[in-house]
Amino acid sequence: MLLKTKESLIRRMYLVDVAKGLAITIKNFFFAPKITIQYPEERRKYSDRFRGQHYIKATNGVENCTACMLCPTVCPAECIHIVAGERPDKEKYPVQFEIDILRCCFCGMCEEACPKDAIKLSTIYEMSTESRDVYDRSFLMEQRGNK
Amino acid sequence: MPKCVIDGREVEFSPGENLIEVAKKVGVEIPYFCYHPGLSVVAQCRMCAVEVEKMPKLQTACSTVATDGMVVKTRSERALANQKSVMEFLLINHPLDCPICDQAGECDLQDYSYEYGSPYSRYTEERRTFLDLDMGPVIVKNMNRCIHCTRCIRLGAEVLGIREMVATQRGNKTEIATIDGRPLETDYAGNYADICPVGSLLLKDFRFKKRVWFLKKTATVCEGCARGCNMDIQHDANVIYRCTPRENLEVNQYWLCDEGRFNFHYVHDADRIMEPAVRADGELKMTEFGASLDAARAALKGKKAAVLLGTDLTQEEAKLLQEFLPKYLPNASVFHFGTPGIVSEADDAPADKILKRKSKTSNLHGFEKLGFKGLKTLPTGLDAALVIRGGRATLPELKGLSTVGIGVFTREEAATFSVVLPGLTFAEKDGTIVNFQGREQHIRRAIFPAGNCKALSEILAMWAHGTGGNA
Repeated sequence: MLLKTKESLIRRMYLVDVAKGLAITIKNFFFAPKITIQYPEERRKYSDRFRGQHYIKATNGVENCTACMLCPTVCPAECIHIVAGERPDKEKYPVQFEIDILRCCFCGMCEEACPKDAIKLSTIYEMSTESRDVYDRSFLMEQRGNK
Repeated sequence: MPKCVIDGREVEFSPGENLIEVAKKVGVEIPYFCYHPGLSVVAQCRMCAVEVEKMPKLQTACSTVATDGMVVKTRSERALANQKSVMEFLLINHPLDCPICDQAGECDLQDYSYEYGSPYSRYTEERRTFLDLDMGPVIVKNMNRCIHCTRCIRLGAEVLGIREMVATQRGNKTEIATIDGRPLETDYAGNYADICPVGSLLLKDFRFKKRVWFLKKTATVCEGCARGCNMDIQHDANVIYRCTPRENLEVNQYWLCDEGRFNFHYVHDADRIMEPAVRADGELKMTEFGASLDAARAALKGKKAAVLLGTDLTQEEAKLLQEFLPKYLPNASVFHFGTPGIVSEADDAPADKILKRKSKTSNLHGFEKLGFKGLKTLPTGLDAALVIRGGRATLPELKGLSTVGIGVFTREEAATFSVVLPGLTFAEKDGTIVNFQGREQHIRRAIFPAGNCKALSEILAMWAHGTGGNA
């Protein structure tokens, strides 16, 4: 059963409450700090631990990766494909290193598993493309967003 | 039976068994590197030392024969301290290159290091390094990883009957090498890689192909010769990467020859015919089963034909053909073939002192058991032939005959064939084969058939029903 209360006329017109609400709106509209940024011109600063686009770290121009396959082993999305090979200056290196970036879930476990500090996730987050290409070795070897 | 007590558990054993084997019976693991059940005991890695009551010092479990009433402690304080020290000594010179090493994942040193070793190294001096010479086409050596268990030296001397591996220098500088750096000569070189507990001796064929923890094992039997060695096919994602021997003391002990070990390569041969093909304008052209079966029937109809069955087919397939041939090719003469010069069971003899047999196909003895006759020379006056084989039997000369092939053929082998219906290899089918001892052994399917290859039973059923299946 509804409880009926007798309110005054002024109270029933809600004028005071409307004014109060409008005050909050005006306060936030003109005086509160702005959350939205003008994206392409303005950019937000992300944490150094942000997990974005991958790259393979190189030391003196030679990739750190030895194709030990720990990253494809640990990868929950199964998006890393490596073919190992041998060359004169390095016993084992990745001949092919592909990341199917559309499958990647950016969990960062590959980076954690890597014993050679080779696969890294940079803070780059602008990765939209018009095709479904995978990241190949030469793309990953560019020290993009090196940290 | 005599009894002894291991870690508080009472075990019965047969006289002469050493403590490692006895402990295995109750699930107590004693770590070891140099011991191998197929080789002599040298007790030089010292890893298996355990405490035995009433003996003042630790005893190496591999060289201590269990006696009645013996009380053994494998995890006592002294035994654990010894294991930790041995691990530390072995790891002094062992490089930390597990990410590169193919043995990682099935490495005794790696496993024991987690279980019994210390997580930190106190060693600060330089590690010893060696320059490795080439060891021939099968084995690749990395002496830096060696822990001097000498299993390889003993394998060569005791099992393979060839003393090609030797230890030169002494102590810390000990190097395992071939005499004068010669390449390995034995036909069983792959076993060196199997028994090496670390990554010192590895297969060249498998080098960097796959990490071992991805591989799935299918227990099957080698089809390389009439012995039928037990082996595992190791595969992943429908690709075979390697074959390893499986212990069977009555057939192959712990070993496998290189011929059998690398035989699987023809399964993934790029030259293998994997679609039904019919010869037109002098060339084999890919078609469908319907068209090629029609061509096959036409090629044999009303001709004087011989049916040649490879002795690499299974018993089930042979029996099926025994039912099929009298009904659908009643006038054909049927022979089995396999190895040139090996016509019947009596010709099959040991080809060396270890495992190999002269018959280079797996099921010669099974075919003889079913009553098939061997092919000496083709009868005269033939004008057609039907060849059914699994991929290993050596094809006889078939020039001038209109030939239909069912089974596994490469383009080169099928150069004179008019029709090819692709069949399955030993890795793609189940079945039974009979080895030279009359032992029936089971081969198991490891991977799915490649391309449009079909089982012999399917092809024969389509033949009998006059259809082309789904195609």
